[in-house]
Amino acid sequence: MGKILIVDDTLFMRTLLKNILFSGGHTIAGEAADGDDAIEKYKELKPDLVTMDVVMPKLNGIEALKGIKALDPNARVIMCTAVGQEQMVKLAIKSGARGYIVKPFQAPKVLDEVKNILES
Amino acid sequence: MSDMDSYRSLYVAESRENLENIVKNLLVLEKGSDQNAIAEIFRSAHSLKGMSASMGFDEMEQICHAMEDVFQSIRNCDLQADSAVIDLLLKTADDIESMVDDIEAGGQGNSPNLDQTLENIRSWKACRQDGRDKAMPGDLPAPDELPANGSASDWNSLGTSVYHLNIEIDRKCDTKNLRGMIILQNLEALGEILDVAPPQDIIEDGDFDGIIKLTLRSENDSEALVKAASVSEVCAVRVVSPEEKTAPVLQEKTAVRDDDIRDTRKAALPPSGKEREVKNIRVDITRLDHMMNLIEDLVINRGRVLQIAQKHRMKDLDETLNMIGRSVADLQNLMMNIRMIPLSHIFNRFPRTVRDLSQKMGKEIELCIEGGQTELDRSVMEGLNDPLLHLIRNAIDHGIEIPDERQKAGKPRKGQIQISAQRDRENVIITIHDDGAGINPEKILEKAVRKGIIPPESAPGMSKEEIFDLLFQPGFSTAEKVTDVSGRGVGLDVVRTAMQAVKGSIKVESEPGTGTRFELLLPPTMAIVDVMMVRINDRRCAIPVNNIVEVAALDGTRIHSIGSRETILLRDEILTLNRLEDMFGASDRSEILVILQNQQKKMAITVDAIIGQQEVVIKPLTKIVGSCPGISGVTIPGDGQVVPVLDVSSIVMEN
Repeated sequence: MGKILIVDDTLFMRTLLKNILFSGGHTIAGEAADGDDAIEKYKELKPDLVTMDVVMPKLNGIEALKGIKALDPNARVIMCTAVGQEQMVKLAIKSGARGYIVKPFQAPKVLDEVKNILES
Repeated sequence: MSDMDSYRSLYVAESRENLENIVKNLLVLEKGSDQNAIAEIFRSAHSLKGMSASMGFDEMEQICHAMEDVFQSIRNCDLQADSAVIDLLLKTADDIESMVDDIEAGGQGNSPNLDQTLENIRSWKACRQDGRDKAMPGDLPAPDELPANGSASDWNSLGTSVYHLNIEIDRKCDTKNLRGMIILQNLEALGEILDVAPPQDIIEDGDFDGIIKLTLRSENDSEALVKAASVSEVCAVRVVSPEEKTAPVLQEKTAVRDDDIRDTRKAALPPSGKEREVKNIRVDITRLDHMMNLIEDLVINRGRVLQIAQKHRMKDLDETLNMIGRSVADLQNLMMNIRMIPLSHIFNRFPRTVRDLSQKMGKEIELCIEGGQTELDRSVMEGLNDPLLHLIRNAIDHGIEIPDERQKAGKPRKGQIQISAQRDRENVIITIHDDGAGINPEKILEKAVRKGIIPPESAPGMSKEEIFDLLFQPGFSTAEKVTDVSGRGVGLDVVRTAMQAVKGSIKVESEPGTGTRFELLLPPTMAIVDVMMVRINDRRCAIPVNNIVEVAALDGTRIHSIGSRETILLRDEILTLNRLEDMFGASDRSEILVILQNQQKKMAITVDAIIGQQEVVIKPLTKIVGSCPGISGVTIPGDGQVVPVLDVSSIVMEN
């Protein structure tokens, strides 16, 4: 069970993800709606794990990931991606993302990924 | 999909926001290439797609995907976003809007035009692309190798071992390459990869069967390596270190399979824990309305208790009630603020209207919007969209001239419409200003006489202001012919009526040849109003303080009769006097004059006495009572009696 920071520019996705994570017994450290906010919240909340959307206003998910990794090289960040964003995810993995989940989210897959990464 | 229904309203609200963002940025893009606008449209289309996929709205997902594709192409290939594609995408946005409407009504967001829309988008793409496609700069994998963690010398020290790992990714996994990359990345962090099969670039391409064999030098034990390699969708990891050749570590993992998937979203409530507060919440507006009603009732009942306390001289209760009074006032203020919405909410739709109409009418128009951040109560805002739209359509249709005509008149070919909003003390002022042909007062007069709105003899001597005011009379329409842009002769009287419904007012100024300016004056909120309580013929009545200019003693004021009307002379001004006898009956105790004003027009009424000033909640007359001329609503002060509120605008205008 971990303390998770959810980063997505839509309240819809954040709510969906929050409910999935709740159902898996995780706590929500906080939410951020753009990349800048994500880095700030990471500093402030020190979550165990971050779920990071890729396409966002201001700073996108890859840049935010890099920012978080610069703050904390051990940060566990999972990318939230959609079909067709493979190149982006490759870039994210090279920038230190530890995992990824694909939209539309399926609760067991999301929880499995989160569990795996929290345990690693 | 029924378990997703609880997300429907959230979906609808956010979809509309994203759609608005798409339209707004399409219009920006139309003016010239703008990387930021492209990125914004792409992002919004992407968000819409993701949400739609989650909700299972397939058609919506397809349309958004197609739209996203177009912008990917524009971004990748430096394709110009010409007006053809903007048109196409705006139409697509319209389709999406009606799909969202359908979803809001409980449907699946199916579009009758889906195939056509998709075909249109695809054919646009196909004809523009001509092989110029290249990968997005942001999408390109970085050319450098996986980042090295730790220096090579670390691995040469004592205590490192060489391990051979066999990793098997689930065959069903359709992103073996990404999983493979994560595995390599994780292992790289624990040691030095000496050899990997298939080679790293093949893994990245995903062109392999899911089995990765690698040799790794690490100072970590095999358990750590298994853990690092056991990412999602990995079914087995086998580690063989030189020392343990005989006893391989084998870990079987079960990947989640699609057929195992159950929905656990609704399964459990959040466990009690240190859950962080969410800073913003979305609330259904009907709940706020309900809350507002409850607060109003609270205000009314507090007033009643206060009167009871005073009647029985209960000092303790009085003090407590004062405290409650303060809390209630704070609550009221807070509620007012919560209900405030920035005007940009409706202003944001206008660029699209102006664009479409000006194109249709062959006019060149630049729209300039200022003060969108000015806030208004939701109830006022609701009644404002149509009147504003009407005025803008008028400006485009009748105001701004066609480019050639403008050029002949020595004006820039491009016309300008300016919409601005600002807060002015208690009110919000919205102006709509165009630099078009303006309105000729003589033409108005001539038409008003012709249509029988005013008798011919009263035409001479009318002030410019009065003449322009004729525009708002029922049955008056300056358009020479009816167009489908500004409607079938529905005139400005409708706009004025709509404004009065939200307790606002409207006036117009115009200069032939230079343009027209409409000014709308609005109360920021309608519900709570400062009133003066007066007594007329033994009945109480409330008059909004905003409309009162002066209070004077009737005694000594000379009343003149002009025809059937009474007038008074007050500070060199002749004012009509209305004793409101048709509303309250004749009173023989009239002692006080109250001077009312609405939009520069003044008049006097007589009252018996002034009771005092207080803030009241005005409730509209119900449908059962129907509309009652001169009365805008009722209020219930502390004693529980129902008191009418004077509708100053209609009384003043009637005189």
